[in-house]
Amino acid sequence: MALLSRKGTLFLLFLFSIFLLSASASNGSGEEEEEFWEELLLKPLPDRKVLSHFHFQNEAPLSDSFARHHHLFPKSIAQLVKKFHIKAMELSFTQGRWNYERWGGFDPISSHNAKPPGVELWAVFDVPPHQVDASWKDLTHALSGLFCASINFLESSTTYSAPKWTFQSALGSLRYGTLPREAVCTENLTPWLKLLPCRDKAGLSALMDRPSIYKSFYHSQRLHLTQAKTGANPKNSRVVLEQTLTVVLQPNILTGGTNYVSEAKMQPSWSLSSIFGRKINGRCVLAKSSNVYLQVERGLVTQLENLQSSTATFAANGTNLDDFGRNVGFELSVNPDRVLKEVEKSSSILYEYPIKVHKDSEQFDLGITWKHPVIWSTPHVPLYASRFLMGSGNERGAIAICMKSTESTQELVAANYVDQRCNFQVNVLQIVPWYIKVYYHTLQLFVDEKPQILTDFVERMHVSPSEDKVSPGLMELVLKLPCEVKSAVLNIEFDKGFLHIDEYPPDANQGFDIPSAIISFPDFNAGLQFSDNSLSKTPMLSKLQERSPVISYTEVLLVPLTTPDFSMPYNVITITCTVFALYFGSLLNALRRRVGEEERRLNDKGGKKDALLNRVLGKLSSKFRGRSSVSSQPSSSSSSSLISPKLILRVLLVAGIAVAWQYYS
Amino acid sequence: MEEISNFPLNPEPAEEETLQSQMQESTPDRKSMRTTKPGIKRLILSLTVLFSFIIGFPFLWKSIEIYRAPLPFDRIESFSSQLESDPLHFPCRFQAIFVGFDFSASRGLGPNDVAAAITHKMSQLNPNSLRCGNCGGGDYDVSVVIDSGSSCAQTEGSEARCPLKCGEVVFGGKLSDEDFDEMLKRCLGNVDGGGKGYSVVVFNGDKEEGEVRAVVGKYRHAWVLGHVSEDEAVSRTAEIFARVFMNGGNEGNSIRSEFMPVGADGRIVLSFSLLNAEPQDWIYDWSFHEIDKTLLQPVIQALQPIANITVESQVLYYTPKSSFSYWDDIHGSHIFSTKDLPFFLNSNEWHLDTSVAAGGRSKVLQLVVYIPSAKECPLQLELPNGDLSKTNGFISPMWGGVVVWNPESCVKDLESKDPDRRVISPQNLQKLFEVLMGQLRQLLGLKSDNLYVGQSGAYILLGSERGFTEWELDVLSGKHVCFNLHSCATTLGSLSRLVQSLPRMIIIDEIGKQVKFSLEAAKFAQSYASTGIYNASAVSSRQARSLVENAFFHPSIMSISYYSFEHCFAIYSPFFLPVTMHVILAALREWKRYKQENRKYLAWKAKERIVS
Repeated sequence: MALLSRKGTLFLLFLFSIFLLSASASNGSGEEEEEFWEELLLKPLPDRKVLSHFHFQNEAPLSDSFARHHHLFPKSIAQLVKKFHIKAMELSFTQGRWNYERWGGFDPISSHNAKPPGVELWAVFDVPPHQVDASWKDLTHALSGLFCASINFLESSTTYSAPKWTFQSALGSLRYGTLPREAVCTENLTPWLKLLPCRDKAGLSALMDRPSIYKSFYHSQRLHLTQAKTGANPKNSRVVLEQTLTVVLQPNILTGGTNYVSEAKMQPSWSLSSIFGRKINGRCVLAKSSNVYLQVERGLVTQLENLQSSTATFAANGTNLDDFGRNVGFELSVNPDRVLKEVEKSSSILYEYPIKVHKDSEQFDLGITWKHPVIWSTPHVPLYASRFLMGSGNERGAIAICMKSTESTQELVAANYVDQRCNFQVNVLQIVPWYIKVYYHTLQLFVDEKPQILTDFVERMHVSPSEDKVSPGLMELVLKLPCEVKSAVLNIEFDKGFLHIDEYPPDANQGFDIPSAIISFPDFNAGLQFSDNSLSKTPMLSKLQERSPVISYTEVLLVPLTTPDFSMPYNVITITCTVFALYFGSLLNALRRRVGEEERRLNDKGGKKDALLNRVLGKLSSKFRGRSSVSSQPSSSSSSSLISPKLILRVLLVAGIAVAWQYYS
Repeated sequence: MEEISNFPLNPEPAEEETLQSQMQESTPDRKSMRTTKPGIKRLILSLTVLFSFIIGFPFLWKSIEIYRAPLPFDRIESFSSQLESDPLHFPCRFQAIFVGFDFSASRGLGPNDVAAAITHKMSQLNPNSLRCGNCGGGDYDVSVVIDSGSSCAQTEGSEARCPLKCGEVVFGGKLSDEDFDEMLKRCLGNVDGGGKGYSVVVFNGDKEEGEVRAVVGKYRHAWVLGHVSEDEAVSRTAEIFARVFMNGGNEGNSIRSEFMPVGADGRIVLSFSLLNAEPQDWIYDWSFHEIDKTLLQPVIQALQPIANITVESQVLYYTPKSSFSYWDDIHGSHIFSTKDLPFFLNSNEWHLDTSVAAGGRSKVLQLVVYIPSAKECPLQLELPNGDLSKTNGFISPMWGGVVVWNPESCVKDLESKDPDRRVISPQNLQKLFEVLMGQLRQLLGLKSDNLYVGQSGAYILLGSERGFTEWELDVLSGKHVCFNLHSCATTLGSLSRLVQSLPRMIIIDEIGKQVKFSLEAAKFAQSYASTGIYNASAVSSRQARSLVENAFFHPSIMSISYYSFEHCFAIYSPFFLPVTMHVILAALREWKRYKQENRKYLAWKAKERIVS
């Protein structure tokens, strides 16, 4: 390192007159500023777990200096956007599977943040159609470097495809790919945190205790990029980077209750410090707002209201849930600043806690203590989808996607009872790798367990068959199902293909993953509607209120394929060589053989009356040496022949080969 | 015995008969003699098989050979040795103009003698003139014009008009240095032709004028004003030529100046980062746009011939340094000393990531402004001699530079609830960027101050508003070409060593081609340099370097064949080992047997002859 301090004065190189003139007008307008928000949503789940959903939003104007000069917005992401002309992008790393039955599927959190296991990436590019694939490939490489993940495996054209209807319409410039087997761990979280201005040094992200996050039942870290237009002028558009981390945690059960039975029935009481092991020390000073929300679901609210009315004698009149949790069901340790209630009759409630600037004395630790056992259920997806494999053996099989109606569809029926022909739309996207050779003509649809003609229910269909070692197969269906449908099953048959020996992954015997199918319900709106719209909308609130279709993912399927014995080529080579060598050797011996002479020698020997022992020895040695050069001399040589020069020669030859082998290897 | 073995199915009695007849015929038994010529059928057969094996072996060897494109190892070797022995030199022309001197009167020296004296002095001052990128390579093209007022003499072939006509030459402090520089440029012009011409004008003033003023202008001119003797004039001229114009006023640390932080693709990314060590105390921001527009763009323009520079900036938070500082009462500040510098950079918390946009092989230079937290404010760098550093910064060659910037008041506003958001004032920012530009100059291997103190006095180096003067750029571009060629040669050397040390490595044709083209481009760069075409030389050298780096970092380069020698042996040995044993032993035995039988036959023959 060289010091920059000479005894002379500093080299004043520049004439700064221009600079000084322009510097006075340096303050940019509000429109031009980069902004950052951080929020955390907590929600008790019916199965005694807690959902915590971190939401960080970073916005930067798409001006000339975008991707060059930044104050809050991560430079690396901005440069990605600029370099690859990304219009929108979503990358998610997920471990575990979202439990649609217990954790809900009809709310904004689940339809945005319930993701298939492993890595899912989609991106929309603002480039001419012929350059989209090249941009995608470059992007996968850049992202895999940025997030320490093997996203670059999505580069191969066999792993990504271009669905049309499932995602926002992008007119062919969208690419979608998943890596179901990607393991997600801290090395992916750390670069993700690096994109936040406060990283995990301060603010809500300081809660992210790695052991608690990674022992969770489900965690999904997501990065979503969009371009939002703020005005009519396209130059005014802003790049919005949303980073979310969704974790489903099991709170530690705080023991100390006297009645074990009631303890078991009770929801576990928890606090931030009990689930994360940390408290919030203060907001990230760079955030425009920093809020913690506690959401009480519709089902729970209804249950609590019922409870309230049944125990009305106990409670004072007029207490309701708005009264900061002084209700029969639970008690909150901190009083919220604001309570948001959904417009509808049976509605969910959102308690808002703004986080203040760091003070050493006070730490924010939101806790909930349950007073009464409550059992409720979460809003379900319109059709609960599951996918499974049928058939056995390594030759062929079938994939079935089974969709069962839930109470949401029944509500729909009830709502539309007057309308005789009530239908709702279901989009199904199924991508299969090329080695699962799907026969699309075998697609069958069973509605309410009766086989149906496809055209009666399928409104549109987009199939791009797989091409061996080039592209995966893609099937998109737009189904119109009647509201009173009980179940719908899609069934399609396939043959299992053979891979080249080089194409097998290291653990080929584990099986091959078929990416999750995506089932979306564009007719259903997952957004919530809160009463006071007038108040300032934080990104989390606007996200919760956003009208968005309900999306759910099915399970990842594991298909066992025939795997070869990977050492087989060598075995074959070795056996063939040995057989050839045997054949060759015996052929050569047969050609060289002198039968007459051998017999004569045998007779000769027979003629001589040698000791039996000598004869046996001679025979043995003759066999040992090959048949040709048996000395017919009497006994004296037969014992010494074992250490004859020939034998020494052979030993030397073998030793020589060994030495040569040592030398060359 | 041949006939016997030829008829293996002979009935036993017949054989017995023959045998007996033989026994009777030849009194010494058949163990030592035979009557027939030994047959050679089996011998020929075994030998044929053996020879076909021997002949087939090269074909097999060829078939399992790994493809390796031929690399010109000898050319690589000769290129690097040539670069070592005969470094690259640019032709430069030096012109010394002495006004008001009369060498012929006082010393009886003609202009040619003065030129020789200057050349001699220059080679004394510049002992390592053989260094790459230097001018001339030890023999300098110096022309001298002597204008004594009354007469004018010049060396033959010099292009300056004699006598020097520069309008009204006004001496003394009447013209500012800048104006004087402009005037010299106007009247001397840039000497064109091959290479660059540098000129020094020495005006002999009166004795009363006092101090001698020596200034190096921002073009390729320097002048000395004041009363100087003839000897001093010559030595000063020589020093300006040898030390300033040729070496950039930078003596000594030649190791560092070997490196030019320019990427193989000829790009530099200047990544500016403002680090807020503790945003709880205060958050500083800067208006980088203005600085970029007014200050950095001229520099980027100026450096265009050397590198394509892009600028980016970011502000980072919660980035403490990783070394410790201590409170010092004498200086009234927190002190970190020079020995802490290796630990100052905190690579865990400072994510000054490499630029995604740059990609490829651009060089990223990190220029970091560090704002300490309230706990350690003000933070000062202490030099080894106990003084405080004026710039409060340091550089790390090839990485970048760090400047510690202390807020005006180190008192944290404890009352306010909101974080203390501040913007670095334009004046402060300007000072900061002066330091940063000085660091950039140092990173490129130039001096960061404006005074050069040589053997024969001090020289004022006139700064350019573009940050880099023309003669500095000449020095830089010479260095750049040299650095490119050197790194090209070293990479080629590594490549050839690597390739030679790994005999089972596949080398595809493309690598061979790139190496070939790179060598060609290097040759071009050398020839352009020798004719003085700076730009073409820079382009070719850059090309040579990037081509060879492409070859070295080719994705296929490390694909050492999985099919190793062991593998090959393991596959072929089950067949070849037993078969070769059979074949060789068969051939040996047959040969031995043939010799033995032949001896018997010959013995019999001899006996026969004796008998007969």
